Amino acid sequence: MTLEESIKYHAQMTPDKPAAVCGKDSITYSELWKAIESKAQALADEGLMPDRPYVFRATQDLEFLKIYCAIHHAGAIAVPLENKVNDETFNAIKTEVESCEFASDIVDILYTTGTTGKSKGVMLSETALVSCADNFIADLHFSPDLLFIISGPLNHIASLFKMHPVLTVGGTVCILDGLKDMNAFFEVFNLPFKKFATFMVPASLRLIMQFSYDKLCSLADKIDFIETGAAPITQHDMEQLSHALPHSRLYNTLGGTEIGAVCTYDFNDGKHMEGCIGRPMKNSTVEVTPEGNIIVSGLTIMSGYVADEENTKKVLKDGKIYSADLGYVDENGLIHLKGRLGDVINVGGFKVDPSEVENAASSHESVKDCICIAGTHPVIGTVLKLLVVLKDGKELDKKSIAVHIKSRLEPHKVPTYYEAVESIQRTYNGKLDRKYYKK
Amino acid sequence: MKQHIYSLLSEALPATDLESDFLFSELDSLGIVTILVILSKEYGISLDATDVTPRNFKTIDTIVEMVERKLNK
Repeated sequence: MTLEESIKYHAQMTPDKPAAVCGKDSITYSELWKAIESKAQALADEGLMPDRPYVFRATQDLEFLKIYCAIHHAGAIAVPLENKVNDETFNAIKTEVESCEFASDIVDILYTTGTTGKSKGVMLSETALVSCADNFIADLHFSPDLLFIISGPLNHIASLFKMHPVLTVGGTVCILDGLKDMNAFFEVFNLPFKKFATFMVPASLRLIMQFSYDKLCSLADKIDFIETGAAPITQHDMEQLSHALPHSRLYNTLGGTEIGAVCTYDFNDGKHMEGCIGRPMKNSTVEVTPEGNIIVSGLTIMSGYVADEENTKKVLKDGKIYSADLGYVDENGLIHLKGRLGDVINVGGFKVDPSEVENAASSHESVKDCICIAGTHPVIGTVLKLLVVLKDGKELDKKSIAVHIKSRLEPHKVPTYYEAVESIQRTYNGKLDRKYYKK
Repeated sequence: MKQHIYSLLSEALPATDLESDFLFSELDSLGIVTILVILSKEYGISLDATDVTPRNFKTIDTIVEMVERKLNK
């Protein structure tokens, strides 16, 4: 059953049950279904045709849920972009997707840095979405009495694809605008629900543990499960979280826009194995080659990249995704991650291509040369750091460079740290020597 | 104190407009954490999630007031 068919079903069976809450707003299944039908009709009246893309900003509210489902109900393709994406990027993506033809089974296009390191439109079929939700329901045990808190951006698979299992089983989604207002997060637990669950990237979990550990402990009986993923979680953080929530299921999941959610491991097992992602979920197959490359196949994988046959062929071969993740299988058949190919820097679950940051910074009046590398933040973990060679007579003006980059790229691509250096290390053929800075 | 906090935060958060009247909206969770870490260390005060309210983080002045309240406790 698709997401929209499930909402329609629950609108008939439990019409007054809340499907979603956001701050003081809430919407029942019945109201949501009516809104979807009405918006789908409005979109069709505006000229949106089946199998055509609809590009929109993913606002962090109930409106997103209505429009996302309405696009599907109209038979069109949802292309949610980050809420703060600038007009230039928005229009470039709109132009790109509107110039393409799509297969009739494509329902979502999600733009991601992901596996290739470049911003790509990942085409996902109805089967991929339904199978991904099915994986979550079977392995993470989503239930109708669950309130699932989504605090991450709704254009990101880690958040967007949690709406599907929750609403498929008839549960309730709670949408939060990020985690910076941690009081708002904790106030959700006062809502009249029996079970609560959420997804958080490891950096957010550390943030909660660092500044609200006692509060988290006090919610131990209410939290059914927490899922993490998108970036590595340390053994220490796993142990601390297990100590705070001894009876909750705590999952570390391997997922990605190109592959869907494919493996998961409940690390509240007394072992807290760092890097472990458990076993493949029901609709997914995960192979690890003797060289350690992780290859994913099954029903949840993408159909390809928008207008990019070359990169699609590099990643998708014979129905299998050759991911950038490296790993191994232990003697018990559990899969473990041990690093990643390529130059992508993972900032709190967001994959950033450093060359994109360098290109944006290079056009600043004071920058002669630069390289974007990984830096370490005391709480968040990995952040971006920009090393800059300044033009003669110029001084390092961090604010000016940061604002310059911010006007061109999404907020998570703006470096946190800046340092003036004499020169940038390059390889013999003049390319940036990224390996030198990883040492 | 305001000038000192301003220079500490502008050093750590160069892309943030600290003079904004809607500072909480400007900040992301990394920015909030950075402020908590810096102010806790600099002034030896205990800050936690309950202090992160839109009112406390509305402007640089309200952040200064929050620090002063903590120091006077």
